[in-house]
Amino acid sequence: MTDAFIVLEKVCKSYSRGGETLHVLDEFNLSIPESDFVALMGPSGSGKTTILNLVGGLDSCDSGLVRVAGAPVSTMSRRELPAWRSRHVGFVFQSFNLLPVLTAHENVMLPLQLTPLSGPERRKQADFALDIVGLSDRASHRPAQLSGGEEQRVAIARAIATDPDVIIADEPTGDLDRNSADGVLEILSRLNSELGKTVLMVTHDPLAASKAQRLLELDKGVLIEDRQIEDQQREGA
Amino acid sequence: MRFPFRLALRHLLDKKIRNGLTVAAISVAVFLLCFLIAIVQGLEASVRSASATRLVTQSAVSLFVSLPISYQHKIDSVDGVYLSTKFRWFGAYYQDQENFFAQFAVDPNRFLDMYTKDIEIIEGPGGITGPDARAAVQKAFDSDRRAAIIGTGLRDDERYGFRIGDTVPLIPLLYPRADGGAWDFVIVGYYRPLKDRIPDTTMYFRADYLNEAFESGEAYGDIAAGVYYVNTLENAPVEQVAQEIDEMFANGPQRTKTITEAAFASFFISAMGNLPLFLGTIGGAVLFSIFFSVVNTMMISGRQRIQEAGILQALGFRPITSTMLLIYEGLLISLIGGGCGIVLAVTTERPIMQMLGQSIRNYQITPDLVLLAVAISSILGIVAGLAAGLPFLRYRPTEALRSFE
Repeated sequence: MTDAFIVLEKVCKSYSRGGETLHVLDEFNLSIPESDFVALMGPSGSGKTTILNLVGGLDSCDSGLVRVAGAPVSTMSRRELPAWRSRHVGFVFQSFNLLPVLTAHENVMLPLQLTPLSGPERRKQADFALDIVGLSDRASHRPAQLSGGEEQRVAIARAIATDPDVIIADEPTGDLDRNSADGVLEILSRLNSELGKTVLMVTHDPLAASKAQRLLELDKGVLIEDRQIEDQQREGA
Repeated sequence: MRFPFRLALRHLLDKKIRNGLTVAAISVAVFLLCFLIAIVQGLEASVRSASATRLVTQSAVSLFVSLPISYQHKIDSVDGVYLSTKFRWFGAYYQDQENFFAQFAVDPNRFLDMYTKDIEIIEGPGGITGPDARAAVQKAFDSDRRAAIIGTGLRDDERYGFRIGDTVPLIPLLYPRADGGAWDFVIVGYYRPLKDRIPDTTMYFRADYLNEAFESGEAYGDIAAGVYYVNTLENAPVEQVAQEIDEMFANGPQRTKTITEAAFASFFISAMGNLPLFLGTIGGAVLFSIFFSVVNTMMISGRQRIQEAGILQALGFRPITSTMLLIYEGLLISLIGGGCGIVLAVTTERPIMQMLGQSIRNYQITPDLVLLAVAISSILGIVAGLAAGLPFLRYRPTEALRSFE
């Protein structure tokens, strides 16, 4: 289990809401190998997003261990986590979360400011990331001038700009129409298959989930299904 | 780690109207602050630069009651007194009542001796300049009782344009002539102030010109001195000299009150109430109101940026980056506004100086005042940015990402 790329061992996580404690994960275990594309499904409140947040270092668990690419994320301090995130994780959100005052190119450049790259190198890297998602011609547009699908592609370009090990996507197609959703899923599949990125995606959409290599289904913090998706199924989806 | 300056600039430009209005408000406030401080400094400068060895002997009843001319030689005889001169407000105008400037009747030679360190005669009759100018002026004073010297401001002012050799008719407000006409004065020299508190728009002439005219019936007025300016000897006990002068006239026709020149200057300021305190209070109020306005702008900006703080944290920026962004923006807004206010204050310095005229002689936007305005603007921006940005330090990324404005 410890050889896996992403490991969650006996993870407990609870939230306090209105004086009530809500146990979302209780001694939860999960292991994901490197370069896997995993879809997490389940009803609201089943713990999908909590798992993403714990793996991405956006939240901390009450107990247990979270390890990503050998790094003990669950024991890192609040000072260490941002630097670790900037090097190892790329986030894609349902509502895109682009900064509206910046152009597409500037949004992609933003995480690159945390790298030791020079100005020209950062620009080149941002150009490359936009090229991967097929939006080089929209680089100077602001988010408000882009369609939903284009915004999400820019968000993906931003997520991969620093060449992270893991891409964490929280319902990346939730706000998109079918065509745009297919485009986004296609890019995530390519990032996984061609660049070897480990993708962890939460979705409510079975069609989106069928693009993954592995499907995990959760209910009330318990893994109720864990199965590999056959290539044939993926191609047919 | 590099700081996302571009993001801060984009935020500034994105809310043009809101930030523009804040910049405009800061500009006006900083201008007002510079204006008020310059006025207070102008008022205080006249007190600060007053001579420590000079006394003013006035009537104990009121400044507006003149002292007898017989007092002068008695004052001169007091131990520690070096020299005295009569100093009498004349109060007349040139051609039109709008053209009013200060005129004082003095003992010219004593006055020039007394004011060696305060004014410099730069030109006398016949175009004589340099060290000989003063002697030429003194000679002219001796030979013509209508002789007068004027400051360079009166020479340069287009309304007057007085030149050496000109006969200047002044229409009296206090001391009418029997023939109902004007008093004639002959300009014999120009002086240049060597100290800030001395205006360059004053005329000094012979006191005996007045007194002789009153005595002969050519004009109506009392033969008197106004007040006496008294220079003490160096190292003389100034307070003791003042006390001796007043004791000497305790039973005289006019009791006197002798005070230092600085106290005399303060008297004019206090006659307007505690003006420095009043202006300082207004300045403070302006500063506080603009401070709250900037804090409000930055707080609104901060509230709209909680989600952005979450995004930045998810990308790997530390929480303090969002705080620093707001401080940077607050600083930029304040410095741009403060800069505009300073430019406004500097460019309006001369017109305001002319408008204030004699009332506040030393209105100046000094480099120190500019630095103070820059410092105040900077502090304003930093504090406002801090007030708006500090909450970001306690947000966890997931909390910030969940928030929507």
